Amino acid sequence: MDFTITSEVVDKVAKLTLSGELDSLSARVFQKEIEKVALESPTELVLDMENLAFMSSAGLRVLIFSKQKIGVGLTIYVVKPQESIVDTLEKTGLHHSVNIVDQYPA
Amino acid sequence: MELKTFPAHVDSLDPLRQYVKEISQQAGLDKKATYNLILAIDEIATNIILYGYQNAGLEGIIDVKTEVADNQLKVIFEDDAAPFDPTTRELPDQEDFDLPLDERPIGGLGIYLTINGVSEFKYEYSNNRNRNIFIVDIKSP
Repeated sequence: MDFTITSEVVDKVAKLTLSGELDSLSARVFQKEIEKVALESPTELVLDMENLAFMSSAGLRVLIFSKQKIGVGLTIYVVKPQESIVDTLEKTGLHHSVNIVDQYPA
Repeated sequence: MELKTFPAHVDSLDPLRQYVKEISQQAGLDKKATYNLILAIDEIATNIILYGYQNAGLEGIIDVKTEVADNQLKVIFEDDAAPFDPTTRELPDQEDFDLPLDERPIGGLGIYLTINGVSEFKYEYSNNRNRNIFIVDIKSP
């Protein structure tokens, strides 16, 4: 399934909408998008994953990269991830570092 | 045993996942077991493609063999890259998982998800080929 990503930054909130499948090929596109929004020094990163059907460790690495690139003050929200993706975040302990939410803003 | 060959390129990851998904569904794996197997094979295929072949400047293939027997689905990847046993990699542990994101080591996540995603994961090197073997128990509905 093709991967697509859109992004916008409004008032220091970077909102990215991901859909399709996030593997090591599409993770490069995701990382470029993070690098782009990082230029605006956002304080919140909102990742809408409702239509993301697959995420490999390459996607997890971009999440880690986001925090390292933008800074420790960054708060990451993962909005409406599918159950299998929540499972991956939990298995790898990343759910401690991101906020899994049903909607943003809450 | 069925055999399908994929070029060792990142463009193959998507069709490879689709192929294993179809095989898993035919074998009667449930949604969760199917997803976890697909995640496992994606991680290992990525390693073979990027580190086995591409970083070594090589072009090559991954042979995917599949078999259902004794209530198990077996998927075997064979490749001709240099010998690499993913099970010898140091895995992240609970201490790593408790670290804040900006201090997390970035490696080892893929193989961790692989081993956790299947009933058994094995590696062999035979006839000058890497063999990565994924075994999933098929639970009766």
